[in-house]
Amino acid sequence: MSATVSAADAWMRIRGLTKSFAGELALDRADLDIARGRVHGLVGANGAGKSTLIRCLAGVTSPDQGSVTIAGDELQMGSPQASERAGLAFIHQELNLIPHFSALQNMLLGAPKVTRFGMIDWKRSGVAARAAAERVGIRFPLDTKVSELSVAQRWLVMIGKALTRDASMIAMDEPTASLSEPESEQLFAIIRDLAAQGVAILYVSHRLEEVLQLCDRITVLRDGRIVSEAKRGALDKKGLVRAIIGHAIRTPDERDRLAADRSRQPVFSARAIAWKRAVKDVSLDLYKGEVLALGGLVGAGRTEFAHLVTGLARPEAGHFELDGKRLDVANPSEAVRAGIALVPEERRSQGVMLQQSVAFNINISTLKLLRSVPGLPFLSDAKSRRQAESLVAHLGIKTPGVTAKIAGLSGGNQQKALIARWLNAGTKLLILDEPSRGVDVGAREEIHDAIRALARSGVGILVISSDVEELTLLADRVLVMREGRITGELTGADITEARIIELSYHDAQDDQGEAA
Amino acid sequence: MTAETMPVAKEAPQPRKSSWKRTALIGLSRYGTIIGLLLMVLFFSINAPGVFLSRANFLNILSQASLTAIIASGLTYTLVVGEFDLSIGYVASFVGLIVTGLMAYEGFPIWLSILCALALGAGIGILNGLLVTKVRINAVISTLGIGTMLTGIGFTYSAFPIATGIPRAFTDISLGRIVFGLPNPVIIMVVVLLALWTVLNKTDIGQKMQAVGSNMEAARLSGIRVDRIKIFAFATAGFCAALTGTLLSSLLGSGTLAAADGYLLDAFAAVFLGSATLREGEFHITGTLVGVLILAVGFNGLSIFGAPTHFQPIFKGGILVLAVGMSALARRYAASA
Repeated sequence: MSATVSAADAWMRIRGLTKSFAGELALDRADLDIARGRVHGLVGANGAGKSTLIRCLAGVTSPDQGSVTIAGDELQMGSPQASERAGLAFIHQELNLIPHFSALQNMLLGAPKVTRFGMIDWKRSGVAARAAAERVGIRFPLDTKVSELSVAQRWLVMIGKALTRDASMIAMDEPTASLSEPESEQLFAIIRDLAAQGVAILYVSHRLEEVLQLCDRITVLRDGRIVSEAKRGALDKKGLVRAIIGHAIRTPDERDRLAADRSRQPVFSARAIAWKRAVKDVSLDLYKGEVLALGGLVGAGRTEFAHLVTGLARPEAGHFELDGKRLDVANPSEAVRAGIALVPEERRSQGVMLQQSVAFNINISTLKLLRSVPGLPFLSDAKSRRQAESLVAHLGIKTPGVTAKIAGLSGGNQQKALIARWLNAGTKLLILDEPSRGVDVGAREEIHDAIRALARSGVGILVISSDVEELTLLADRVLVMREGRITGELTGADITEARIIELSYHDAQDDQGEAA
Repeated sequence: MTAETMPVAKEAPQPRKSSWKRTALIGLSRYGTIIGLLLMVLFFSINAPGVFLSRANFLNILSQASLTAIIASGLTYTLVVGEFDLSIGYVASFVGLIVTGLMAYEGFPIWLSILCALALGAGIGILNGLLVTKVRINAVISTLGIGTMLTGIGFTYSAFPIATGIPRAFTDISLGRIVFGLPNPVIIMVVVLLALWTVLNKTDIGQKMQAVGSNMEAARLSGIRVDRIKIFAFATAGFCAALTGTLLSSLLGSGTLAAADGYLLDAFAAVFLGSATLREGEFHITGTLVGVLILAVGFNGLSIFGAPTHFQPIFKGGILVLAVGMSALARRYAASA
């Protein structure tokens, strides 16, 4: 597919790129060649140096040493303008689009525009953008407001924006994090197409399956060094994981699945729950000791279901039972008092209190336990510290100390702190929505271990995940949801990626149009 | 969403400054206000040793500061929970009028008048809190609306200052010196600030207030009743405003329309100066006290040097802008640290 590009292997040469922060090497003499017309995968755990490498290329960080040449010309380091002039474009996961601007306005943001009598002539300014839109296969009208577009369509706008500027290389960060499977497939087709047109793609992702499937070349970073560089097919998933974390990881078949004793009373039950058009007639039972997971596509109604359980919304029909007793919670505070807690999907906006310390974040849901004298509202600093320290040790949270700000921790360790928040809170049912989103493979395994240990200790665990692989690794039983309904149940050896995907899409053909 | 991967497109993607420069900047933003206060004291002491540097003048500064400190600490609570209260100045004026009216017109005993006054302030605060949390009116709008209404209601109650029929014992409250020869308002300030500091830093409700201010959604999911916490903060602000209004009436010996309106600006200036003190852009009681002292020392110095009265608003407005600016800078450095 890159036949049009000849001898392009050395379009961009990165040589000896080194950067240290506060005496610690974030990037250590990295050498990398990037070719036009290829999709180049960049993988590694959080903190492995991917960000630093990308930031150096984008000109927002100046490396201590090393050089980058593009088509033979040396790139001026530390200048975002120079990087843009050199044809480098960067699409961040959070998509910097202005929601109430149209797709066209967004694509032309910051680009020179044609003016007539001092007014912007959108028609003529838009020529390059329209051409770009065509190349990306944008089918919606360009005057649509971005706020009305789906996440997938927004990605197309961002790519179009890069092409409008004549980008020769586009770096993409976790493009599929919020995309459904068909949307991802569509994006991959566009990426391949762009590569065929001679654009270099630098593809950063934690989703190894898609990296293996999509990328012509894969570079693995670990502790700031490039530890592995392979052509397509030279590395399988196991090899990739080993390169990323430096050792092998357990596979789904190597772990035991607990078959819960279903004759006993369930810890938690839902009976014919319905809410708006998102949740339809959902019934389920969660048994002691098991990790029950809800699989399915983004938008299948799983997050809404979690919100109903935790009192963020109230079901229109049906009811819940906790330990056999009917449960009626009007808000999250009542849910927490009843013993139901949620570790939310959006870690930063709904989970952590960023400017507070690790201890503050862990202790906030158990303040009553931390009083100096029971009955009086005064807190004991010693008890607070002791509880935080013991939970930090228990979950292996990597932090300089419990008084350190949580903002300085990696995503995986922040997530562990959010789980720690509920360990002493008398939690009977813990719902984890996308527990390892944006977390590297090593941290993911630790989070999974913690979740499983919690389940075995008797806490009811309900996991929601769109990451099919995560479901196979973590769940003892999987319920698949589609369009608000539970469409299937998988146990034991039936929990495979193929079966989950099948149930997620089961007669879902008519969704395809929407996804586009 | 993951921030740890490729923060390329983040705003303000400045390359890191060399570390000593960063340390210096953070140090300056943390201790800048305290250094400023000390420099001001030093300057006035050297240039007006006889007048500024005396026990009498220091007590004067402290008692001036005490009313501002009380109302500003209440305001601090609303800012800690991520809200705003623009009604505090009007509440103080209104309550100051009502408390004298209760004594002069209704013949209430002093203690009951004051009790009613404080309850009224807390009640107005609760009303503000309900409007913000239950009706979901933006705090700027609801507190400004309530405050404006209060000026009108105050005018209806008494268009003229209430100066006769106020018992001597009431004016003695702020003029007396019961403990260690310190003016009573200073003692009251110390007690109030200690209580507010303790609640904010050492109790459940204080931790919950800080959690709500840090991340409201996360606080809600942690089981905190966010609405109640916010209403508590507004009630505290109303209570403190009422206390300041009552003490002002006692000090003036009369209840006067709009007497305490100016405290709004002073309180905001103090609280924002305080948020840039010792911490990076967080609101806290100790900081607020430092902010109040800066204002008080500044005003005192200005009057000692015989600066014309119209210098005061220039100084006050300038300090407010400077304070908010410093607070914003501190927050930005905290975010990029």
